[in-house]
Amino acid sequence: MTGTLAPAITCHDVTVKFGDFVALSDVNLSFERGLVHAVVGQNGAGKTTLARVAAGLIRPDSGRISIDGKPLALGNVRESRKAGVELVHQSFALPPSFAIAEAMEFGADRFGPAFSSRGLRKRWSAHLKSFGIAADLSARIRDLPIETQQSVEIARALVNDASILILDEPTAVLSPSGVEALFERVRGLKKNGITVILVLHKIREVLAIADTVSVLRGGRLIAAAVPAASLTPMDLADQIVGSETGVTDADDAAALVGAAPSRHAGMRAEARSAVPVLALSKVATAPDVDGPALADVTLRVHPGEIVGVAGVEGNGQKTLVRAIAGLTAARAGAIELTGLDVTGTDLGTRRRLGLSIIPFERNSEGLSLTSSLWENWSVKRLLADPLLTFIRPAALRSDSDEAMKRWDVRYRHAGQPAGSLSGGNAQKLVFSREVDDEARLVIAAQPTRGLDVGATAFVWQALRAARDRGAGVLLISSDLDELFDISDRLIVMLSGRIVADVVPPFSLAAVGAAMTGAGA
Amino acid sequence: MNANLIAVIRALIFIVFALVLCGIIFEFAGYSSLDMFQSIVDGAFLRPGGLAQSLRWAIPLFITAVGVGLSFRCGFFNIGAQGQFYLGAVAATVMATSLNGWPALIVVPASFAAGIAGGALWALWPGLLKLRSGTDETITTLMGNFIANLLLVYVTTGPLKDPSGSGQQSSSRPLAAAYRISNSLGLSPTIIVIAVVVGLLMWLLINRTAFGVVASLAGRNPVMVRWQGAKVWRLGIASFLISGALAGLAGTVEVFGPNGRLVGGFLPTHGFTAILIALVANLSVGGTAVGALFFGGLASAALYLPIMAGLPSAAIDIINAAIALFITARSSHIDRLIGGLIGRARKTP
Repeated sequence: MTGTLAPAITCHDVTVKFGDFVALSDVNLSFERGLVHAVVGQNGAGKTTLARVAAGLIRPDSGRISIDGKPLALGNVRESRKAGVELVHQSFALPPSFAIAEAMEFGADRFGPAFSSRGLRKRWSAHLKSFGIAADLSARIRDLPIETQQSVEIARALVNDASILILDEPTAVLSPSGVEALFERVRGLKKNGITVILVLHKIREVLAIADTVSVLRGGRLIAAAVPAASLTPMDLADQIVGSETGVTDADDAAALVGAAPSRHAGMRAEARSAVPVLALSKVATAPDVDGPALADVTLRVHPGEIVGVAGVEGNGQKTLVRAIAGLTAARAGAIELTGLDVTGTDLGTRRRLGLSIIPFERNSEGLSLTSSLWENWSVKRLLADPLLTFIRPAALRSDSDEAMKRWDVRYRHAGQPAGSLSGGNAQKLVFSREVDDEARLVIAAQPTRGLDVGATAFVWQALRAARDRGAGVLLISSDLDELFDISDRLIVMLSGRIVADVVPPFSLAAVGAAMTGAGA
Repeated sequence: MNANLIAVIRALIFIVFALVLCGIIFEFAGYSSLDMFQSIVDGAFLRPGGLAQSLRWAIPLFITAVGVGLSFRCGFFNIGAQGQFYLGAVAATVMATSLNGWPALIVVPASFAAGIAGGALWALWPGLLKLRSGTDETITTLMGNFIANLLLVYVTTGPLKDPSGSGQQSSSRPLAAAYRISNSLGLSPTIIVIAVVVGLLMWLLINRTAFGVVASLAGRNPVMVRWQGAKVWRLGIASFLISGALAGLAGTVEVFGPNGRLVGGFLPTHGFTAILIALVANLSVGGTAVGALFFGGLASAALYLPIMAGLPSAAIDIINAAIALFITARSSHIDRLIGGLIGRARKTP
């Protein structure tokens, strides 16, 4: 607050609309130079939109932005770069098939007409070393561990003397120790005079790193660059979540904003005696594009328990779900559902035994976005009978109406395409189809990703309700707060193996260590 | 409901666009576009017997086009209707020739079964290649058309050749009159019944069975249907087989109805017009019937124009091509525009 220097970046009345949806509404905000600024808020609050406006990827409908007091030409990536603003995307943007050195050259200003791979390695090795990146510069981006990929992204963003670095949800893909390392790096950047803007959504992380905090909620600015030292976790939680969300459970509220690892109330050991709804014994698969092969995976899910699966993304979680679904063949081992051996059977058979799946990719694996709501809802029931069964679309429509109303899906009519629903409503549609009385085992893969706070709490309630009805739930998530809040038991996956199996009270340190292999 | 209405209006808009474009071309070519369109409408519907002739052309197109529509619905761009149409005709003729002399009650059903099977088999191999090894079905079915055409040329100039035939067009021996299902005008109660039964069965299959719903979901997003535990493979094979079978049936109708024999290179654009109809109809069975009547009318007018009005029948090719040009442009912009206009029209009293 020296007042003499112009702020690094200032937004004046920035408004962004996507159709009828107002993503940002009259945002006025200044970030002081040389500090670490956090922008927080729930999914859909407008954080990423703000970052993209600054980086020139989105042209706001109205408003101005100035960098170092000078007005910025909006909606132009090149202009933003020239002004010194660089953005590291949440889902990384480097070409996966490039070698590290090539990716660096790709981001540079002065990228020449011809180069040799040796020349490139020579040119960039010092720069990368200054970021502590020890990897071989001819390694391909896609082969790098996720933490290294992120470091390379950051190094790439800083090849052109950027003075303002925006990191969009940089912690979402990292293990707890990876987050620590990232924050160490951010502190180093700050020491070098770089203004860092972090888009985050966990209070614990915000308070650990940021000098100032700005809160967005539903596209409106709730707090503008407030000094972090003046904030308590609970103040911040209130500002992020607001009062109108209807989240009543205190643990849920804390877990939603990552305020603190929650206490854990109930343990349900009495369920253990029953026949497990899912039993994997020493299952192994072949490796595939989505991650390492499963090796020696033994896992039991009993009726009436929620088993959480923790792990850094890409450690076999997707393969695990596909193996349970029968979409990836088990090379060795056996899979039982409700006590029956289903190894080698197809998904149709497994679903008839009560397997329900909330898949990872809601918009491709979960729903057909261009098909109507009632078709999306009906498909599970239709497939339970022979395909030439006579149907009455009107009856299916009214059944789906009833189910969607029960699950509080907000929609206009059952014939509208599923793609017209918001993320939360689309997920509720998936739940309304998958989680019924016949569901004995519910696989929920990242069920709250991309959902707003109300929908997230709804999903948790739905999973708990399924458990209380006696179904077994396998919850795969990369959000430890979510896992700690609702799991009755937790396993940790690393490189296709289960490396830890823990019961409450969960310890962040222990689970975090297992995720990176440090605990082994 | 709304989506269907939008589809109908969109098809109409594109057809109007295409006709305006054709009008401009006609004018530049030195014809009065008003005369041209007047003569086309006369030729297709207004002249005595015009409607019957349009129906004659519309029915085989309809049968083939509902099959094409089903395979598009399931997400397979099977553009081999022409080849499947030919193979059906060839198989039916082979069967009729080899059973020649038997009573019609045996020969006709056996030949129809052979025609249907021939078309289905000509769709089966691209289907298997697609579903087993991911081969692009657009390429294989297209190539299949050329092979089928050469096969047709071969059988009509070789094994099935009518030795008494002269002139450039080779053909098989004429079928015995007892085996024919219509005279050479090509419209009879039998043919109409076939078309109606095909239409009803296909409508039921698509709109009133689980198969119809699941297949159209699979066409839009096969990944989602696989995660539901469906055997996408079976759905795909079924759609290939049914579309091929219907094209084969249409080919058989041509042989046993209006043609009365297998003619080398007959109706060379039948399959492509059927694809056009399926697209104009937005893959619905009802729309396909209307579309088939429209294009059947154009086909009928193509014969009428040069003879009665002294105008070039190429005008019809231009119209077909112009519609093809616009119909694949399914811009979401246009849909939104139409949706907005419908909404406004409903609000204003």
